[in-house]
Amino acid sequence: MTDVTLTVNGKERSASVPPETTLLEMLRSKLNLTGAKLGCDVGDCGACTVLVAGKSVNACLMLAVQANGRDVLTIEGLATAEAFHPLQKTFEELASLQCGFCGPGIILSAKTLLDENPDPTVQEIKDALAGNLCRCTGYTKILEGVVDAARIMNGKQDAA
Amino acid sequence: MDDKVRVAEQQDLDTLESLREADADLRLPAVVEPVAYPLETLTPVARQQTPAVGQRAPRPDGRLHGLGQTKYIDDMTFPDMIHAKVLRAGIASARIISIDVSEAEAMPGVLATLVGKEIPVNSYGPSIQDQPLLADEFVRHAGDGVAAVAAVSEQIAKDALAKIKVEYEPIEPVFDPLEAIKEDSIKVHPTASNIYASKIVKKGDVEKAFAESAHIFEDQYRTQMVEHVPMEPHASIAMWDANERVSLWSSLGRITLGRADMARVLNMPVNRVRMIATIVGGNFGGKNELTTEPVLALLSKKTGRPVKGVYSREDEFISSTTRHPFIMDYKTGVSAEGKILARKVRLILDGGAYCSWSETTLGKACILSPGPYNIPNVHIEAYVTYTNKTMTGAMRGFGAPQVCFAYESQMDDIARKLGIDPLEIRMMNAFEEFADSPTGQVLESVVVKDSLKIAADRFGWKENG
Repeated sequence: MTDVTLTVNGKERSASVPPETTLLEMLRSKLNLTGAKLGCDVGDCGACTVLVAGKSVNACLMLAVQANGRDVLTIEGLATAEAFHPLQKTFEELASLQCGFCGPGIILSAKTLLDENPDPTVQEIKDALAGNLCRCTGYTKILEGVVDAARIMNGKQDAA
Repeated sequence: MDDKVRVAEQQDLDTLESLREADADLRLPAVVEPVAYPLETLTPVARQQTPAVGQRAPRPDGRLHGLGQTKYIDDMTFPDMIHAKVLRAGIASARIISIDVSEAEAMPGVLATLVGKEIPVNSYGPSIQDQPLLADEFVRHAGDGVAAVAAVSEQIAKDALAKIKVEYEPIEPVFDPLEAIKEDSIKVHPTASNIYASKIVKKGDVEKAFAESAHIFEDQYRTQMVEHVPMEPHASIAMWDANERVSLWSSLGRITLGRADMARVLNMPVNRVRMIATIVGGNFGGKNELTTEPVLALLSKKTGRPVKGVYSREDEFISSTTRHPFIMDYKTGVSAEGKILARKVRLILDGGAYCSWSETTLGKACILSPGPYNIPNVHIEAYVTYTNKTMTGAMRGFGAPQVCFAYESQMDDIARKLGIDPLEIRMMNAFEEFADSPTGQVLESVVVKDSLKIAADRFGWKENG
């Protein structure tokens, strides 16, 4: 067993896991953070996307020990008690998600993009979400959701 | 006494007799007695616009999806829950000589194993019960499960699968549906023919109409096998309690059917089976029947623990149902102006190893195969055959997309050959209000032509075509 300590959604969390445990497995079964999903287990579908030190990663491909000592953000940590993230708001309003299984991953990939590039073109959004598969929607409302969220976030920045 | 007070009229009190009647009503059979037709029914007015059209309607589950709070099966856990994995045959056709699970059972962390012979009634299926839950005598496709393991972790269960020894006697498989339908073909099941369902639709006289046609078009179209690939793999949790009842949390879409199937395969009254459906992470027709639920139930019975089973992506591809590959022969007789006079269709559906929803698919493909066109003479034959491949079942459209590919491809070929605009030939032949379908149904609210016209105008068919 290996001891792993992470800062997850702002709080320090520790667990003792077998060395082959993936970050995804640790988050889901040890820390009860089930927002990140197991879709393919080989890094193709993006349902397991979380942010490690601000970068989106496939948590199914990263060992828990590799994330030791680092900052991890999961979907559960995106909204605060006061407010949803603009992406969560626009995705709800536009019904961007159907079955919802890909949602947490897509929202986190989109967040990474908007953090780095506050005013992306549609092509840039498509590129940023290339690692996240959605089987239900055909992506249209997802792209619209990201565009709208960028607009809201920029509006706030202008006002500030 | 004040005469102005108005006394309430006396209400009839329930008598013991009336209460008994009410009790008898409750005991009436759930099925209503048949009524003599014709019944007076309320027919909705065609093309009536409901107030919902054009309104925004938020999804009731949309917020939780975005917050990552939606609980799918794999997000649920129970105290002392263990994990199950199924060993897949990896061989398309074979007789099973022996299965030895002793080494797997001896592994630390493994709590139980299960083979097909331990399942009370080892066969199921939505229409034909031809599919074993775990193959016990014969393997009919490479994705057939042959044994299952329950262990304290998923990883140990996976490792234990490698310790199961199965001895096979290979049998020559049949993969090509055109081979499989022949009389002297290798048989996938102990039946006289591999064809397990067929349908014929006839209207008018095709041969006479072919003789009168100016042009005859004969083509073959084929489509491939397609996997549903739901983002959420099949997942279930079974809990067998001390009271001989079993509860199942499952990603299954059709729980009432699944519950009846569970009772059948476990050979127990249906009231002892509780099926709980939660949010499904994508179905597309692939989660319409049981998969490993009874296997998990029996492993739970053996261990006294809740048992979770989640398909790997590989399990999804090799073992869950897929879309039927079609081989479609179309012969169409057309007048000199481009009017379709007759169409003869032969569909061969590759059903894979088990029936699943093939009968439904066959029926729907059949009635839709001539396309949305006024064709006075139609002859359709359709067959579905067993092959030693992953079984095919329900998938969005039940056979409709396959035949659409064929008839629309042929419409384009006909237009090209006759030098007619592809839109024009469709406008010339398409259904109109009260058109007669190939099976004699009189169609209402038919807007094919309007839709085509609007679409053509919107994207500038004339200018860009």
